[in-house]
Amino acid sequence: MNAVDLQEVFFGYHQKPLLCDFRLSITAGEWLGIVGPNGAGKSTLLKLIANILQPWSGNIMIFDRNLKELSRREIARLIAYVPQESHFAFEWKVEDIVMMGRHPYLRPFVRPAPLDWKAVNEAMELTGVISYRYKGMNELSAGERQRVIIARALAQETDILLLDEATSHLDLYHRTEILRLLHKLSSRKKTVVSVVHDLNEAFSYCSRVAFMKAGSLVSCVNPEGMVDSGLIIRTFGITPVIAHHPVTGRPQFFLPGADRTTGQ
Amino acid sequence: MRVKTVIGWLFLWGVLVSGALLSVLTGPGGFHLSEIGSFLYFRLPRMAIGIIAGGVLALVGCSLQGIMRNPLVDPWTLGVASGAAFGVSLAVVTGAQGSLVLPVSAITGAALAIGFVYLLAGSGINLTVTRLVLSGVIVNFFFSSVVMLMLILRRHTLGEAVYLMMGNLGVVYTAKAFWLLVGCGIVVVLGCGWLFFHSRELDIISLNEETAFSLGIDAAKMIRMTFLVGSVVVGLVVAWTGAISFVGLVVPHMVRMLFGPRHSLVLPGSFVLGAGLLLYADVLVRNLAPSGLPLSVVTALVGVPFFIYLLRKSQ
Amino acid sequence: MSRNCRNSLKVRKFYFLILILGNLFCGARHPVHSEAGAIRCVSLVPSVTEIIYALGAESLLKGNTVQCDYPVAAHQIYKVGDFQLPELERIVALKPTIVFATVPVHARLIEKLRELDIQVYVSNPRTVEDVFAEIESVGEVLGVKLKAVQLAESLRRSLKAIPAFTDTPRVYIEIAAAPLMSVGNSTFINDIVRIAGGRNIFDDVAQPYPVIAPEDVVRRNPEVIIILHPQALRADVKERVGWGQVSAVRQDRVYDHLDEDIFFRPGPRVVQAIHLLAQLLHPDSTN
Repeated sequence: MNAVDLQEVFFGYHQKPLLCDFRLSITAGEWLGIVGPNGAGKSTLLKLIANILQPWSGNIMIFDRNLKELSRREIARLIAYVPQESHFAFEWKVEDIVMMGRHPYLRPFVRPAPLDWKAVNEAMELTGVISYRYKGMNELSAGERQRVIIARALAQETDILLLDEATSHLDLYHRTEILRLLHKLSSRKKTVVSVVHDLNEAFSYCSRVAFMKAGSLVSCVNPEGMVDSGLIIRTFGITPVIAHHPVTGRPQFFLPGADRTTGQ
Repeated sequence: MRVKTVIGWLFLWGVLVSGALLSVLTGPGGFHLSEIGSFLYFRLPRMAIGIIAGGVLALVGCSLQGIMRNPLVDPWTLGVASGAAFGVSLAVVTGAQGSLVLPVSAITGAALAIGFVYLLAGSGINLTVTRLVLSGVIVNFFFSSVVMLMLILRRHTLGEAVYLMMGNLGVVYTAKAFWLLVGCGIVVVLGCGWLFFHSRELDIISLNEETAFSLGIDAAKMIRMTFLVGSVVVGLVVAWTGAISFVGLVVPHMVRMLFGPRHSLVLPGSFVLGAGLLLYADVLVRNLAPSGLPLSVVTALVGVPFFIYLLRKSQ
Repeated sequence: MSRNCRNSLKVRKFYFLILILGNLFCGARHPVHSEAGAIRCVSLVPSVTEIIYALGAESLLKGNTVQCDYPVAAHQIYKVGDFQLPELERIVALKPTIVFATVPVHARLIEKLRELDIQVYVSNPRTVEDVFAEIESVGEVLGVKLKAVQLAESLRRSLKAIPAFTDTPRVYIEIAAAPLMSVGNSTFINDIVRIAGGRNIFDDVAQPYPVIAPEDVVRRNPEVIIILHPQALRADVKERVGWGQVSAVRQDRVYDHLDEDIFFRPGPRVVQAIHLLAQLLHPDSTN
């Protein structure tokens, strides 16, 4: 049984189709990185899986259950979505934000149970934000905020975690921290799907990389194997220089660079 | 519960209880234990109306601020008050008669305004907060202009003009109208209950809609319903008391300063403080100026300086 | 000082005096003629329109407002706009020699008219006697002074015909129900009540149209209630919760369906209002 199955999905914006007859299967426990140029439909894909957007036609199956047949609460217990940076109109504390992740398990007028606090504390520890649990969100740096939002997604205790460019705002240290964390989660059988801006990041950490362009899936590759540079050219329109990571051996991509002879 | 929260609640309830006592003990002719009649027929109902009006305006203001992710929003954005005023002006201009005419026409006008707002705002995926706000603004302008027109055409423009802008807790009603008032009160209480029930959803929606969706909340539906419930509840209040300014804008901020942004505390806190402050305003109005200084003037006198303070703080 | 100097000083003072006196009387005491000699007036005030018709000077009336509706013939006159917002261009287009306006509604307009060198008569009667004085002034301005004085006199006599009453019942005048509004002591209606032999229960309030608390009305226990708006009927007022012990309700002395205009307009019909009110207040002693 696959974690996620997209079957013949059609979707677009303003009646212009973007994803046409889109098919993709995501195995449970894998870490799929999605890369592609702007407007490829990467975020759209993620939102469709998270049920934030609904496909025009086609099915999205989560562990063999159709998204359409699941209630919102059930979906929220299966899939956690980490959006890009959000703005906080009010002075929320870190702890409050992470506790919101427990919403699919809480009932109105009933206080969070010790079980809920356990999940929240664990999430905050994993993301390294527990030391400022009482601080206001607007007091934190962009990187720290992002980690809190990831903690919220972790507190949801779902099998599937979706991240939309979650590391973009982080400095190198925190970026590495988060990637290591995601790797740990992935090895604990959590299914992680992340839209990644940096091709190298995807290839260094993910178990599989999907290339998207203009709403279509160009190809899915195993980042531990060989990569055909034609794929990069077709997807991004540039010719990369491919080398291999000195430690992991995985392919890494370098920008062509300025031409020394012509000075361009 | 943390100490700060407990103290906060003590303060809020203190304001409400003292306001209620003052409201009942003061007024024309003071207070005499023998005059049970005046107490029952006038003071008690006036206090009850004050509690509900102040509480509702603050509560809805707070909910809207959460939904629109903007702390500088107030219930008059809904367009409902001008709808109620339109209903009343229409009744006055056509010379309709009877004790139920005014409240019924106000409620109808408010309902009309709500209907227009939803009609304009579109449906399904198009219905966003932005569109709701814009529709509210348009409906507000429309009804206000029509009311202005009617005021001009009408010969005696006094009562209606005051009703529109000023707000007043001295409601007269016959026995028939009393049941209508009670009915409205029940609906209002139910509406407030609905808003309290969804405190957590409001918390999450006040972040952004994607987060809400991913946590299992139908954000679009919640936003629509909050607007609808808020409109209905404010409409039912405005129909009886007229438009009272600033309570819905400023009280939620005061409560947030005490409790932080969690709606499970701020919503009921706003209700309690809004009710208390309005009772105080009414006591001032009844005892300082026998000729009935408009309520909105008093609330503005307190609200405006606080509002300026808020603006500066947000810089 | 030399004799010549003193003389010229006297002469100057004399001219100065003439100037002042001339200005004092210049206002609106002379019939205002245009070069052609005819008077053309525009009335922005419904009560003044009524006065003009009562004086039979309607041929001089070239324009009035939408609200000028009494007598019926006033409907036929060219409308220069609304009482609240008359249109300056329309007024000027009629080439009026005198415009009747009131304050504070027309304050700005009056300034503009005077800038255009158009004579303005400002009507603002506060008491019933002011109304009679106004009838006389308007008559003088329109060149029908004799008729005006006669009319004013006959109205004054008609008031004198009201017998002295033995009691002064407390009266509550309601002009709006939501919110509850009554009249204060600086209003015209207050004066009507006084002359009709009653006492406005809110005559201690300076504000002209105060918003009042229902409890206040009940405490002041009026003996007669006059409803001057259509939103409440007699039956409704009597059924108001908590009003059952009010004297007027117990004695069934609540009156509605009255012509509001005769109470609100400071014109010749004020006498009708006074007679009507006197009858209602003193049913035994009037005929």
